[in-house]
Amino acid sequence: MQGNEQQAYDRGITIFSPDGRLYQVEYAREAVKRGTASVGVRTADGVVLAADRHARSPLIERDSIEKIHEIDDHVGVASAGHVADARQLIDVARRQAQVNRLRYDEPASVESLTKEVTDYIQQYTQTGGARPFGVALLVAGIEDGEPRLFETDPSGTPYEWQAVAIGGSREDIQTYLEDEYAEEMDLEGGVELALRALASVNDDGLDATGVDIATIDVESQQFSKLEEDDIAERLAEFELGGEE
Amino acid sequence: MMYDPENRLTDAYEPEVGTIPSDAKGRDEENVTKTGTTTVGISTEDGVVIATDRRASLGGRFVSNKSVTKVEQIHPTAAMTLVGSVGGAQSFIRSLRSEANLYEVRRDEPLSIHALATLAGNFARGGPFFAINPIIGGVDEDGSHVYSVDPAGGVLQDDYTVTGSGTMVATGTIEGNYDPEMSIEEARGLAIRAVQAAAERDTGSGNGIVLAEITDEGVDIDRFDDYESAE
Repeated sequence: MQGNEQQAYDRGITIFSPDGRLYQVEYAREAVKRGTASVGVRTADGVVLAADRHARSPLIERDSIEKIHEIDDHVGVASAGHVADARQLIDVARRQAQVNRLRYDEPASVESLTKEVTDYIQQYTQTGGARPFGVALLVAGIEDGEPRLFETDPSGTPYEWQAVAIGGSREDIQTYLEDEYAEEMDLEGGVELALRALASVNDDGLDATGVDIATIDVESQQFSKLEEDDIAERLAEFELGGEE
Repeated sequence: MMYDPENRLTDAYEPEVGTIPSDAKGRDEENVTKTGTTTVGISTEDGVVIATDRRASLGGRFVSNKSVTKVEQIHPTAAMTLVGSVGGAQSFIRSLRSEANLYEVRRDEPLSIHALATLAGNFARGGPFFAINPIIGGVDEDGSHVYSVDPAGGVLQDDYTVTGSGTMVATGTIEGNYDPEMSIEEARGLAIRAVQAAAERDTGSGNGIVLAEITDEGVDIDRFDDYESAE
């Protein structure tokens, strides 16, 4: 009898454990940790998203490894955890961004987009038969001329950050960001910090094909991905072990 | 019950709170109270002036009310006029007002006037608020704005605009006398003259004037029995 009760709150998403925990949500956070890391850095000039997307085989087409996604002209998302789960949330964000334009003829704010996504995630922690999303997202963009950077987690809680890491080795990368982040850095400085943060947990160094970087700068308010050559150039400049 | 992602998304053409009542067939058009109406909106650097008459009529032949307030605040710094079917316009105003409130409380900033007008256009298009033709006037961080919204959802911005049965007469009064540099007091005088002219010639307009002044401070609405005291 006791054993069955133990199982009940371990397996049922809508059931609290006696000490008030939702184990399935905590397990979903573990799923996020199993994913490769993504990093977000907010600077005065814009926001940087960087993601580790190293391939498990040299035969895989690199572009099929999706870590950073455009949501609307002015917003991008980086994910860590289950890619398939991320795709669902990204589509919610993309659609909501267009609904906002249709409804108000204005670009969606980064904060309200994030909260649409987290409210959606939360539904899956309270619905019978559902499984929570095994993914965390970084939502980055420009809102009223200001750079914004948010995190979503599997419980459906939104957090706002100056600089943040999600996924594998999160704690170590976060410590690196906390030590090195400076509020006055420019966008290029943000790219450097993001790359250095990812490299700080990769003993073999980074490889331009294994990293994805996107920026949304305050001036153009446009999401833009860095080309592989540009990433290789920076890795060489920062001596982060990129092999050409 | 599994969560349905499709239903999470807001319908751009419907209010989030409540629904737009459908315009059921068989409604007695003759006996629906109409505003007839002259409503004027003029934009200046300092703010927006909206002026309306105060008459409601039945079938355009009987004055059913002589003291209607046809301009209402719908947003901290915006107002809207009732033009056309009174029931349709009142329900429309209630819907827009609650949407503006919801937006502001969720996002911690008010709707821009352009977004408010876009939303009004979508509602007009999505739901049959039969025969309404309001003016939306408001002030936001981009300045003063006047929009007209037509029953099919057309949204047009202008320096000044007029809607209602007295449109032709009132527009003639403003035409050539509007100056983008004019003060809000001068715009007020011009709006009064426009409504007064329409009241003289249009059977659907009359019985005094209501004036709304909208600045970045808020909305002030005053009612007057005669045009002299409105000046």
